[in-house]
Amino acid sequence: MKHKMLFMVLFVLVSASAVFAASTSNNFGTKKRMPRPEEYGNVVINNYSEKNNIAPVVFKHWVHRTKFTCRVCHVDLGFAMEAGGSDIKEADNLNHLYCGSCHNGKDAFGPSSREKLVAEVQNCDRCHSYDKDVKGQKNFNETMKDFPQARFGNRVDWMKAEEKGLIKLKDQVEGISIKRQAIPNPKDFDIKSTILGMPDIIFSHKIHADLNGCELCHPEIFGAKRGATKYNMQDIFAGKFCGSCHAKVAFPFYDCQLCHLKEVY
Amino acid sequence: MRSIVLFFIFLMFPALPAIAESAGSYEDFGFNLPALPEPARYGNVLISRLTHSSTHPSVSFSHWVHRQHYTCRVCHFELNFAMKTNTTEITEARIRKGEYCGACHNNQIAFGVSDDTCAFCHTGNLGATDGRFSELKDLPKARYGDQVNWVRALKKKLIAPKQSLLIEDYEPIHFNKVLYLEPEWSGINTLALFPHQQHTAWLDCADCHPDIFNIQKKGTKHFRMDYINQGKFCGVCHLTVAFPIHDCKRCHTDL
Repeated sequence: MKHKMLFMVLFVLVSASAVFAASTSNNFGTKKRMPRPEEYGNVVINNYSEKNNIAPVVFKHWVHRTKFTCRVCHVDLGFAMEAGGSDIKEADNLNHLYCGSCHNGKDAFGPSSREKLVAEVQNCDRCHSYDKDVKGQKNFNETMKDFPQARFGNRVDWMKAEEKGLIKLKDQVEGISIKRQAIPNPKDFDIKSTILGMPDIIFSHKIHADLNGCELCHPEIFGAKRGATKYNMQDIFAGKFCGSCHAKVAFPFYDCQLCHLKEVY
Repeated sequence: MRSIVLFFIFLMFPALPAIAESAGSYEDFGFNLPALPEPARYGNVLISRLTHSSTHPSVSFSHWVHRQHYTCRVCHFELNFAMKTNTTEITEARIRKGEYCGACHNNQIAFGVSDDTCAFCHTGNLGATDGRFSELKDLPKARYGDQVNWVRALKKKLIAPKQSLLIEDYEPIHFNKVLYLEPEWSGINTLALFPHQQHTAWLDCADCHPDIFNIQKKGTKHFRMDYINQGKFCGVCHLTVAFPIHDCKRCHTDL
């Protein structure tokens, strides 16, 4: 009797594992969907929204990139680098933290005070817009129609757009950012590829520093000492190191030759 | 003790077909290759994502018509065409705005969208381009598929497909690493040859990496002939558009 029980258990386990093997994800070895230009860099923030019966927030990087450097939000305002990582609560915004630093009814739309929250309820939808058709939002194609084109991501060459003066990025939020001295231009350098025959990378420190300052990358993503942080393309594909931005917001890693451009023979 | 073992094996029986299915049956290991269409229709697809619900006939798209003039990367990357029929979010409005087909079919590069031209694509007929197949008659021959050796045609400069729509002087990445892949199947001791350069002539790195093949050494799991036969890995292209896997020797060169 004891043996029989044991076999029944074994049988169930064996059949279950066979069924499991057949039913696990069938998508390996095929191409994933590439986001459309207006979707690239959009993130859904849903720490507390659905729990409180309100639509999750859709944050569009492209809207904000036309006005601010990355550093403003991700350093001065303390936004994390992954969706939901900042654990933002409504009270935070009303206390002029995070989104509320600008979305305060003065610098940008938003509830101007706790008391006016109910009166200005139409503003809620403009961010809590997941799966909704919200009027008054910026149209991607309209906004981007004169911007220089790129191949991937938002299909916008943000660097050129700034060069051409189509966007002027603010690097300070009044009352929050501290007055800082401009950083002296850090040096560009090459990053050697570990794979034979793969073109090396020319890394422009200046372009990155203009948008990010120092703190966004150092010392957490990249240590301060050059060459001390070891990483490879596999890590970047997984969203680490360069992939912290270049898999999500900045031009995506699809555009290999924007980085791997130094010929080695 | 023996009866216990026999009983155990007996209990396993119902589970065997499920195990065999998950591991790929014997027939799937390359002996059950899909039937190929006639050469003029290899790589032709009927697109009916939205048209099936409307009165318009499906769109017939011929790969061989297009690949004479454009590399794979132009459509499957820059224009964001998916690799599976009917999964690209094409709408007429988007084409008219210059997305997808509309990037070229705009009356400037190729015929545009108008009442007179609908029927050029909305034919509902997989063999709509049969009459043009003679365009390929001077290209180097291959044994299967559309029977054209496109790699050689490109190398001999018999065709000059556009490399990129946006970058005028686009040059494919210089990466000519050749991989020799060991078979997992006992009984076959031939290596599969994979030359990067022949692929980068048509494709960008990220067309294949990391979605189809991750780049970890020996990290691509299940990279087996039966999966390729199901349209995964190499089979994403080499069953539908690029030379079909029926042409064993082009990869397993010493077979």
